[in-house]
Amino acid sequence: MLIKQEMTEDIKIGLGFRREIAKSFLDQDVINPDFIEVAPENWIGLGGYWGDVFRKVTDMYPLILHGLSLSIGSPEEVDWPFLKKVKRFIKDFNVEIYSDHLTFAKIDNAHLYDLLPIPFREDSVKHVVKRIKEVQDFLERPLTIENASYYTPVAAEMTEQQFISSIVEESGCKLLLDVNNVYVNAFNHNYDAKEFIDNMPLEKVMYIHMAGHYKIQPDLIIDTHGEAIIDPVFELFDYTIEKMTPVPVLLERDFDFPEMEELKNEMDRLRAICTKHWTSDVIQQRNI
Amino acid sequence: MLYSKETYKIEQRLAEWCRTGKNIDIKGTKKEGLKQYRRLLRNNINNTMEQAFPIANEVLTEKEWDTLIDDFFANHKAQTNHVWKLPFEFYQFVQKQSYAIKFNKPFLNDLLYFEWIEIEVHTMADQSPEPYKKDGDVNKNKIEVNPEYRLIKLKFPVHLYATEEAKKHSGNYFLLVYRHPDNFEVRFVDLPALHILFFEKIVNEEMTISEILKEIEDASGLENIEAVEKNILEFVETMFNQKVFIGYKQTYQN
Repeated sequence: MLIKQEMTEDIKIGLGFRREIAKSFLDQDVINPDFIEVAPENWIGLGGYWGDVFRKVTDMYPLILHGLSLSIGSPEEVDWPFLKKVKRFIKDFNVEIYSDHLTFAKIDNAHLYDLLPIPFREDSVKHVVKRIKEVQDFLERPLTIENASYYTPVAAEMTEQQFISSIVEESGCKLLLDVNNVYVNAFNHNYDAKEFIDNMPLEKVMYIHMAGHYKIQPDLIIDTHGEAIIDPVFELFDYTIEKMTPVPVLLERDFDFPEMEELKNEMDRLRAICTKHWTSDVIQQRNI
Repeated sequence: MLYSKETYKIEQRLAEWCRTGKNIDIKGTKKEGLKQYRRLLRNNINNTMEQAFPIANEVLTEKEWDTLIDDFFANHKAQTNHVWKLPFEFYQFVQKQSYAIKFNKPFLNDLLYFEWIEIEVHTMADQSPEPYKKDGDVNKNKIEVNPEYRLIKLKFPVHLYATEEAKKHSGNYFLLVYRHPDNFEVRFVDLPALHILFFEKIVNEEMTISEILKEIEDASGLENIEAVEKNILEFVETMFNQKVFIGYKQTYQN
């Protein structure tokens, strides 16, 4: 029983900290996540009311950073002044995980404020690996990179799975496995989501994201973070968790916030799945 | 860069499509997916600006607003990593491209700047004042100012009137925008020219009230300075009440 309890403490279910629901994090009357996640771009250097709220909430919860503008797939130089600010922010708030997306969001010296797909190609692997290593050297820690959703292939010469695996293996970075993105991409590009999970370097997964999406057309899903998680994504999560050892799991919700009870229910369901699979004896067996 | 020229070109064209809606023929892509990217990226920009500039959004026609968003997204090389600062780049773009003249809305630059300043003052990094004392001699001691403020000059009083009315009242308007230190609220104080003079003497030149009055007396040759003295003391009292002035510098000599 004691051992089981220890495993339960290893299960960390977090929730994205967003201004619209900030009060609920402070009040803790419905939700009390194990950690919170923010985009550093939205909070670095903020003062006044939101700076005060951020100080309070980071006193209450451990913080994970999930960036938006590192733009690891950009052709240009890494944005060192920005990364310097991130490094300072990581230190100031004792952040354990800093992640960003396997995408590009800036090109020809212009930010785009969204995540565009990198062509799945050999030269892209080399380019991205070089940039990840530069970032890791600067930050003096592994970078965690998220598999992104994408709505069209772009001049691909290899599969998404090969692209991600090669980058993780060659750069030494960690993986943020977004299970919803796997589901979205598998649906949009007609591949088997479970087979994709089977071929991911799961031992390199540092962190997991779960979210809702929106089916905009019968054959196209958009990764909105504005809906509840659907059952097939929970099932894929269950399938994934069974193959892994404990890592933090985040519920992402960025738009159209429901009553907090609904978010709590989603977090409880994620926790129940993790608790089912991440028992001490199972983990021990997997580690042998 | 380890990208091949072709891969680099593909990324450039993808970004160009998203920003301009031109050249959708990109190797190895699906048009429907590309259209979603353009829609999503443009929505991000539009939503950011709608939230930042609610009054301008209401005052401009839908066509004018869309023109600004499309032109900005297509032609402006956005520099900030922080989306909350992008509205300032939008304001600069609109000003530089003279849309106020193109749309015959002369107040447009002032309106965007006014709306931006509220965001900036609300959100900007905390600034600590120099060490100060709560009590002092209002005439003889140097005053410490709440550092979280912006002093702006407007040609059209968009802070006083609806925009069509503001058009009829062009002039020089000075507005002190500051963050209240107790509750973080952004507050606005309309300052007449004489009070701007007082404010700048107190803040920038760190003069005491006595020094300011002496300077005015010497410069103007006024024999009776009492009216000016009454005015400046009332101004200072108001500034203290509103928490624009917060105390007295510790370095004073008296």
